[in-house]
Amino acid sequence: MSLPNLRGRVAWVFEEDDFDIDLIVGVRNIKITDLDELVKVAMADRAPGFAATVQRGDLLVGGRNFGYGHPHYPAMRAMRHLGIAGVVAESFSPGFFRGEISMGFPLVTCPGIVAAVQRGDALEVDWSAAQVRVPSRGRTLALQPLAAAERGTLEAGGLIPYLKARLARSQGASA
Amino acid sequence: MTEKILARASGRAWVRAGDEVEARPDFVISYDFPGYTDVFFREARDEFGVDKVAKPERFVLFIDHMVPAAAPKEEELHRNTRAWGAAQGVPVHERKGIGHQVSAELGYATPGAFLVHFDGHVSQLGAFGAYAFGARKGVLEAFVSETMALSVPPTVKIVLTGTLQPGVMARDVFHHLVRVLGPSSCAFKAVELSGPVIDAMSVEGRQTVCGQAMFLGATTMLIAPDAKTMAWLEGRRRLAIEPVFPDPDAVYERVVTIDLSDLEPIVVVPPSPANTQDLKDHLGLAVTTGYLGSCASGRLEDLRVAAEVLRGRQVKPGFQLHVVPTSQAIMAQAAREGLIETLVESGAFVSSPTCDYCYGRIATMADGDRAVSTGTLNTPGRMGSVDSEIYICNAAVVAASAIEGRIADPRPYLGGSA
Repeated sequence: MSLPNLRGRVAWVFEEDDFDIDLIVGVRNIKITDLDELVKVAMADRAPGFAATVQRGDLLVGGRNFGYGHPHYPAMRAMRHLGIAGVVAESFSPGFFRGEISMGFPLVTCPGIVAAVQRGDALEVDWSAAQVRVPSRGRTLALQPLAAAERGTLEAGGLIPYLKARLARSQGASA
Repeated sequence: MTEKILARASGRAWVRAGDEVEARPDFVISYDFPGYTDVFFREARDEFGVDKVAKPERFVLFIDHMVPAAAPKEEELHRNTRAWGAAQGVPVHERKGIGHQVSAELGYATPGAFLVHFDGHVSQLGAFGAYAFGARKGVLEAFVSETMALSVPPTVKIVLTGTLQPGVMARDVFHHLVRVLGPSSCAFKAVELSGPVIDAMSVEGRQTVCGQAMFLGATTMLIAPDAKTMAWLEGRRRLAIEPVFPDPDAVYERVVTIDLSDLEPIVVVPPSPANTQDLKDHLGLAVTTGYLGSCASGRLEDLRVAAEVLRGRQVKPGFQLHVVPTSQAIMAQAAREGLIETLVESGAFVSSPTCDYCYGRIATMADGDRAVSTGTLNTPGRMGSVDSEIYICNAAVVAASAIEGRIADPRPYLGGSA
């Protein structure tokens, strides 16, 4: 199995380093669990009307150490509900990275991405070539490959299906 | 140290940074919290058909958040946790204090052990020479499988030299590291701490420093056990495994030496834990509330220094000072030493151990409030309204600020020993 490439427009560029993703929905809203409610507050402070601009498959772009702080899950749940297919960032905060990969949500570490794109650009993440391409600007950047377990988790669609497959394999091997 | 611990845990003679291994945690530690333990229990059973966890003696549960319960659904969560523990044969410790501290007191922090939790602050058990890793929701793997897949991280060695000045505490040391090295400087890496400052530091102080590893991006932070560690652990260790020590020729990705002789007390200015600044640049800023507690601070040395500052003095009228010892054992010792009496007589509101002050579940701040706090985090809304502010600092600064009602330097209140 191989990871499908991601193709989408840059829905937003979070240029700042150490971005606290809780700010996407607002800290006051992180206890909301209803997705339709979360989507209404997502990006409300930064970009009113953001939801209407997102097409299924669009991507977010972030700076260094994206997801720093005590990241909670609602921000990316809301983004997925809007159709966001992944985040391409200079680097990720480890806790955020682990948490979202376990949700089956692609995170792509790609140094140089913030300077290479603007909102609205089309992006292509090519896992097998370990590249992020920005065709409209003729740019190709290297992405940092995933560890096997991370890749397996994304391929399976999240931690639960990945663990099920892994346990089935090890039971098969020991039988 | 990390490579040795993960080699043993994965049944190999040796591992190197970058290796992907399946390591068997010696202990799987959790506290009950909605969205985590209740979900792990349900998913293990419903998705994986795991009716009984393998080797329940490897698991431990703490009830330290929502203690005491303030709503029926909180007590229901605790009830379900107790029932799960009873059915599985997994011990549930409640009302003994904050789990990360009680884990140490109950001997789960054995030197050389591989420990996992969903909460990254478990890294404080690295103060005892364990590799203690917070895997967030990934810890589900440990509930359904005896091993967890992980990459062996490279190690950054940080050597802390010099001597700390009076009034400078472990909290200042950690936040200074974030200032000097940067909040992502150790991302996906383990940190090994050593040097004269660590040698001189109490076990409590080491717990404080290691517990905040996540704010450097680190997977965890470890300190090689010394005579002080082994004395603290006497009669507590649950596992008979050999402690590990760094080899003289150990390979580090980076070695950083930082001299702390000139370090002065710091504050971490909102809205980010990356924002370490000098206390002296913020003196005089009006504050309405103070919190001395949490898994990071709230231990005896924190209570002792607060009592020293507050002895014979009064908290400023209208200022809310909350003092929450990190565990019952610490609270009892503080009572024996007369610290509780001193703090109460000065006007502090002293509560039994709980995590609940740290995230604003109680003592909730309103719009416009500003706190000095030894809690773990200063992001907006962490302790109440998103329009309140949190300045993180050491316990002595909290106590001095409580007297003055503004951010204050504790050193004039100290008799030269902090």
